[in-house]
Amino acid sequence: MKKLEEQIKDASSLDALGKVRIELFGKKGVLSGEFAKLKDVPGPEKKAFAEGLNKKKAHLQAIYDACYETLKQEEIERILKAEAIDVSLYNNLNEKGALHPVMATMDKIIDYFVALNFSIEDGPKVEDDFHNFEALNLPKNHPARDMQDTFFFKDKAVLRTHTSPVQIRTMLAQKPPIRMIAPGAVFRKDYDITHTPMFHQVEGLVVGETGEVSFANLKSIMSDFLHYMFGEVEVRFRPSFFPFTEPSAEVDISCIFCEAKGCRICSHTGWLEVLGCGIVDENVFNAVNYKNVSGYAFGLGVERFAMLLHKIPDLRMLFEGDTRLLEQFR
Amino acid sequence: MIVTKSWLNNFIDLGKVSNEKLYETLNSIGLEVDSIKTYSIPEKIVVGRILSCEKHPDADKLNVCQIDIGSGTRQIVCGAKNVVDAEYVAVATIGAKLGEDFEIKHAKLRGVDSEGMVCSASELGLPDLGNGIMILDKSIGKLVVGRDLNKYEKLSDTVIEIELTANRGDCLSVHGVARDLSAALNISMNNFEYESQNPEKIGLARVAKLIVKGKIDASVQYAMANMEELHTSLLFSLRLAFIEELQNDALHNILKYITHTTGVILRAYDVSHIDLENNEKLTINLESKDGIVNVTINDKLYSTIGINHVEKKKANEKSLKVLFETSYMNPVVLSDLVAEHKLETDELYYNTSRGSEPNLCFGINYLTYLFEHYNQCKLFDGTISLDEDYEEKIITVSTTKVSQIIGNDIKKINIMTILNDLGFKVQSTAEDKFGVTVPSYRHDIENIQDITEEIVRMIGINNIQAKALEFKESQPMNPTMHKYYAKKALRHHAIASGFDESISYAFADKLLLAKYNFPLVDEELDIINPITADFNTLRTTTLINLIQAVERNVNYSKKRVALFEIGTIFNEKREQKEVLSIIYSGQSETEYVANAGKPKPITFDIFVKKLSAIIGNFELRASNQENLLINPYQSADIIINNEICGFLTKVHPNVSEDFDIPDTFVAEIDFEALIPEHINAHPISNFQGVYKDLSLVVDKHLPYSHISQSIKLLDLPLLNKFYAVDVYEDEKLGEEKSLTIRLFIQSLEETLHDKDIDATVNTILEKLANEYGAKLR
Repeated sequence: MKKLEEQIKDASSLDALGKVRIELFGKKGVLSGEFAKLKDVPGPEKKAFAEGLNKKKAHLQAIYDACYETLKQEEIERILKAEAIDVSLYNNLNEKGALHPVMATMDKIIDYFVALNFSIEDGPKVEDDFHNFEALNLPKNHPARDMQDTFFFKDKAVLRTHTSPVQIRTMLAQKPPIRMIAPGAVFRKDYDITHTPMFHQVEGLVVGETGEVSFANLKSIMSDFLHYMFGEVEVRFRPSFFPFTEPSAEVDISCIFCEAKGCRICSHTGWLEVLGCGIVDENVFNAVNYKNVSGYAFGLGVERFAMLLHKIPDLRMLFEGDTRLLEQFR
Repeated sequence: MIVTKSWLNNFIDLGKVSNEKLYETLNSIGLEVDSIKTYSIPEKIVVGRILSCEKHPDADKLNVCQIDIGSGTRQIVCGAKNVVDAEYVAVATIGAKLGEDFEIKHAKLRGVDSEGMVCSASELGLPDLGNGIMILDKSIGKLVVGRDLNKYEKLSDTVIEIELTANRGDCLSVHGVARDLSAALNISMNNFEYESQNPEKIGLARVAKLIVKGKIDASVQYAMANMEELHTSLLFSLRLAFIEELQNDALHNILKYITHTTGVILRAYDVSHIDLENNEKLTINLESKDGIVNVTINDKLYSTIGINHVEKKKANEKSLKVLFETSYMNPVVLSDLVAEHKLETDELYYNTSRGSEPNLCFGINYLTYLFEHYNQCKLFDGTISLDEDYEEKIITVSTTKVSQIIGNDIKKINIMTILNDLGFKVQSTAEDKFGVTVPSYRHDIENIQDITEEIVRMIGINNIQAKALEFKESQPMNPTMHKYYAKKALRHHAIASGFDESISYAFADKLLLAKYNFPLVDEELDIINPITADFNTLRTTTLINLIQAVERNVNYSKKRVALFEIGTIFNEKREQKEVLSIIYSGQSETEYVANAGKPKPITFDIFVKKLSAIIGNFELRASNQENLLINPYQSADIIINNEICGFLTKVHPNVSEDFDIPDTFVAEIDFEALIPEHINAHPISNFQGVYKDLSLVVDKHLPYSHISQSIKLLDLPLLNKFYAVDVYEDEKLGEEKSLTIRLFIQSLEETLHDKDIDATVNTILEKLANEYGAKLR
């Protein structure tokens, strides 16, 4: 008996244990042999013999099961170990791409205005003089046209210098009230460290009945918007001049790089200019034949926002598909 | 526009206004401060008086000066040539620090003791005033020997650069800026008034006459002077240096100084050749032609009012007799004339086209004052002039309207006071509305909104109470918005598939487009003023830009570049459309342990799967594209909803070589075709279906798309779907290939019977046998 137990316990693998199992419990195994002896046992002793034998078998079976379980676990453990992986080899596989920071910033801007029930409008990149200038109170020969170096085509069309012509197109196509933004690419003939010949703007226009839309409203939404974009900053309005708005203002935020202490980026003023806005000039409404209305408009450069938000050092890099920059946004 | 604090002080007392306050005020009234800089002269620099000046015994170029510096006389060796002309100079005494590591110490120059240094302007941190040392004169204040130079406010000035908006011609002068500040700070203006004390005995009217032909929409005024030697004082030199207008000609300097101070356009002509002693006279002719006013003097053209002058007629400091001309013309009229007639303009046109000062007497009086105070020149008595019939502009101001535009209640009295301070003549009434007369120098003020802007400027926007706008709800969704969201979703799919979003310019190089056989925008519709040769036309594809982006990235040692762009391209007729473009170049994966750092290059299969992950299902057919990026054996038209909407290709090896990039795949697809359409669900069968594989032998060159098209046209009700699963070619098959198509056959109505399955299979086989000679393998 002891010997049999030892035999089970000595099995060092599932294979070896399998062999022991056949030797002990198989049809021609040791236990079968023992049971075969039952027929030779005299009647009165038969019961006791059988009981003893069954007990023995159960005992051995239990030992076997325990050994099997142990060996099985050992086997699994061995397989698992063999399949072990250094998971840290699989860090940062770069399988996801990145949204362009300018486009992601544009999305963020659009999200704000769409949440305030602004619609999105669009217009062609190649514009005519009327939509790009004339209707925006920029008559021919107006010195303010110099503010925008324009690309001209041979047939006198222009590449739009701002998204403002979309205001005109929208007002010509729809009736007030209007509450729209126009995001998109614009073009100016300027190419240096701080200018690219193409960049992106988001334009906004709100038109209501006369006396309904005021400068105070404009101030409210612009401040709120800039806080949404830049967080805890101070917002400053300065009167300025745009031909299509009057009164007009440029809006600054306190410098987010130096906390308004003055640095190279804010030209040591503590302020960063971020957008322009104003009350829509009557001449613009006249150009689209709107009567008895009031409105405000605003416009901003998306690249500037993106560069400020993400501290991007070089404007031109944004247009070069430079993955050294893009992959940082994955 | 550059002003200085001391210069502004000519017209407005800013003594109690700090630089911070000045900076804030200028910004808040719409005169944006670009930069503000205070010059401060270091300590221990004093006024010195040169008592004697002798040549250095051992150095030709040096002088040995005895200089009284108040506390005694010092011997100082000086190398500047102009020291011999100087009386008062700036002396850096022992211990003075000029810059961080430059301290004045006892020195011996070629054996002669020198106790200090005579300074030039730039050595004191001031702008360069030309060669030599800075010679002091009383223009900076009373010269007291030994007095610290940094006590002279006009030297330690604050220079402010203002970025002026195009509408504010009235602030193109120191006087104009002072005028605006006066209203904002509530400090009164010292208006300049001066009458000639000691004119020439001859009246100008006796030697010159003005003849006018046609209607002249301009004002002019003439004065004449017998010139003596002119001198540019230190103060003028310094201020002109601040505005970068200092030149070697004293007359030039005086003209620039006056125009910059007063805003009046002032020109000077040499009339020395006119022999007044022998009764020769000046006949000044003003003649208007199409509104352009030409000035001829004794039949010679001298100037075109507001636009240009004849360079040869210009006077300089050596001219003996000079005719001075001040002029004004409405800037709107001027800029139209210049544009319409393509006229050449001179440097003053910048001022005239934005609106110069119409009060011409101001300019002439200032000139008279400067001549009589600082020079010996004598002006002829009186002036001759022509005044334009100026119609006063009167605007009706409604307090309610102003309040409405601003959105805060503004009191009538505030509006009236502000306008009055700004030089408007206000007619007092008891009503809500009142009339104001616009000052002649504010040509930009035309209507109530312009008036409101003035009010906003002076109140300060930061003092306006912000109020959120209440608005009625409306449905803002429109096709542009749908398109935006479709684009956004597509962009997110692309990044989820590992592509980085790129933006490139909508421009292209015409030569490159032509080289790769892309269309060009028609010549007569092309850009006339491109920014560079690389961007000399509108792009008709985004792919060249993307290939160039890959080229750059390869130069930055990037081994795998995956970019996409949703951008605008144009056709020959310059019509725009948006495309989704994708470029995938180099390795198909990041280098990591699973690929042992040697990822496979991108294959057609990998590229197509990526594309499918981004844009969904599409079909591919052999491409007919004509551009030369196309690789004839690995390219395809992309078909969605049975329409060709783009193409993809492995970039032709010639092109890869041109740009020195590895194996690269590109696709360009019309964005419109990618906007998801509305989907209706098909019924779903509950009955068991069966898969059947058909292995066919067909012509080696027969594209699968032909076969699939034929099967589709059969429109078999039981054929749920089918797709190719294997292609096999070998020598035995020769000019044929074996193609295995897997059919999934299923009925919507019942469990399939063998005969139905056979019928479906046989119909297909029959059709393919007829059309392509296909036989079962």
